[in-house]
Amino acid sequence: MRDFDWFPLLLSLRVALISTAVVAVAGVAIGWLLARKRFPGREVIDALITLPLILPPTVLGYYLLVLLGRNSPIGHFVESLTGSPLVFTWRGAVVAAAVGALPLMVKTARASVASVEREYEDAARTLGKTEWQVFARVTLPLASRGLLAGVILSFARALGDFGATLMVAGNIPGRTQTAAVAIYDATQSGRDTRAALLVVILSAVAFTLLYLTNRLTSGRRDG
Amino acid sequence: MLSVNVTKNFVGGFRIEASFDAPPGVTILFGASGSGKTTTLRMIAGLTRPDAGRISIDGRALFDSDGRIDVPIRERRAGYVFQNAALLPHLTARANVEFALRRASRATKRERALALLEKFGVAHAAERRPRAISGGEAQRVALARALASGPQLLLLDEPLSALDEATKLGIIEDLRRANRELQLPVLYVTHSQEEAYALGERAVVYERGRVVATGTPEEVFRSPVRAGVARLAGVENIFDATVEERRAETGTSVVVMKDALTGATCRVEVPLSRHGAGASVRVAVRSGDILLATERPRGISARNVLEAKIVSVEDRGGRVLVRARGGVEWVASLTRQSVAELGLESGRAVWLAFKTHSCSVLED
Repeated sequence: MRDFDWFPLLLSLRVALISTAVVAVAGVAIGWLLARKRFPGREVIDALITLPLILPPTVLGYYLLVLLGRNSPIGHFVESLTGSPLVFTWRGAVVAAAVGALPLMVKTARASVASVEREYEDAARTLGKTEWQVFARVTLPLASRGLLAGVILSFARALGDFGATLMVAGNIPGRTQTAAVAIYDATQSGRDTRAALLVVILSAVAFTLLYLTNRLTSGRRDG
Repeated sequence: MLSVNVTKNFVGGFRIEASFDAPPGVTILFGASGSGKTTTLRMIAGLTRPDAGRISIDGRALFDSDGRIDVPIRERRAGYVFQNAALLPHLTARANVEFALRRASRATKRERALALLEKFGVAHAAERRPRAISGGEAQRVALARALASGPQLLLLDEPLSALDEATKLGIIEDLRRANRELQLPVLYVTHSQEEAYALGERAVVYERGRVVATGTPEEVFRSPVRAGVARLAGVENIFDATVEERRAETGTSVVVMKDALTGATCRVEVPLSRHGAGASVRVAVRSGDILLATERPRGISARNVLEAKIVSVEDRGGRVLVRARGGVEWVASLTRQSVAELGLESGRAVWLAFKTHSCSVLED
């Protein structure tokens, strides 16, 4: 254990935390839009956001490489802003994990917001509340259980991302090698104990998170 | 004064045409479910958009399709009490009321919320969540919350329909008392006649999306001009009849009613209407307006005296419905004492008496 390399786990944790924070904010906003606003192309947006859930991770990774690469407008912009490219850095891993987790967050957020009875929101409006106050003081608290479950799911998903991360961030030990990638690396190079240890840790974390999610979503709604 | 004059069309052809004024005090919107009362309330609050028309309070427009005015819901200051109260489930009763209060310090808000809950007799439930309080208490909290927002009018959508009689009367009394100080126009949607009588200074009657009658509850229910209103108002005796004679000089008409089953007929004097001899009309008489006698009445001012035979006697708790066949089958409602003292029972011969002006000729 003394010479166990903790870097991949810590990197995974950092990537998952940052991408979850981004996904939580964006996912709640998009989920609210999809649940509460009628606009043309609503279902197209939903489908596009859901796509990463069913696409092969390599396809997703390919799209991201094209979209974020050093020669792409976005990649160029980010590089000029931060001084380092997005691809093959840990930031690229954050983007890959976020895109993979976003559909889970948006789906749960849309369902949670839709389950809030509109009458409560209408009541708040008649009591003089602005749309932002209605969202922050009525919709958000009433949807909070579902939203929290979505956040946990997103975190679990971000923690375990493999394919897209490998394509976008690569497999640079000590720089971009996340836990999921490190497991692959370890089995390929015959370091079975290391692989097994990482597998056990990741499984335990995933199980705990799923268990928490279930407790949240099956409990009382208005407690 | 609230003035409403709006139209709205729905998919499927249903159309609402609502036009009425509501001065300070309680105005009842009365009608069957699906007749457009709730939609009218929602249009006033801004929750549903009318197709055209104007809604204004004291001359200031809340909505005006010509002037392209559509004041946002939050600026209309229309206190709305929903059928199921719609208390925010994640807040206590007190927090629900505080939620509606405008900017103030935490202590001030708390004090004012408690005062309002006290006013509606639910201070004891202040720290409870909505799911831990009864339906009647929830509506009291909802009323307190609506008043806390500083409304310029109150919109109540069948707030008491699910409650028992005693609870209902108590809340109605509290509402009247609260509004004596505030003098707000209060619109109260109901399909219950008792609520209309207990609460309303004015009633607006809806039928299939249209306002068909306005006036005091007495006026619109006592002399209903339309069959729909008469049925809603609980007028038990409504018969098809044919005008036999029109007596313009006495202001009356004589109509003949014919029982569809037995073919038996009876003649009844009714107030003069625009219908000429031979016209088909409908005549309504409230059960409470019919007197029963066990001997032929003499020296009585009532112009209609019919010989009849009792078909059934039903005790409806407090009042007794006596059905008697005299040509057609009439329903009279009496007190238990009358029934007992006169020894009324099925098969007994009786005389029915009612005034000409207890009869209404309905427009259909």
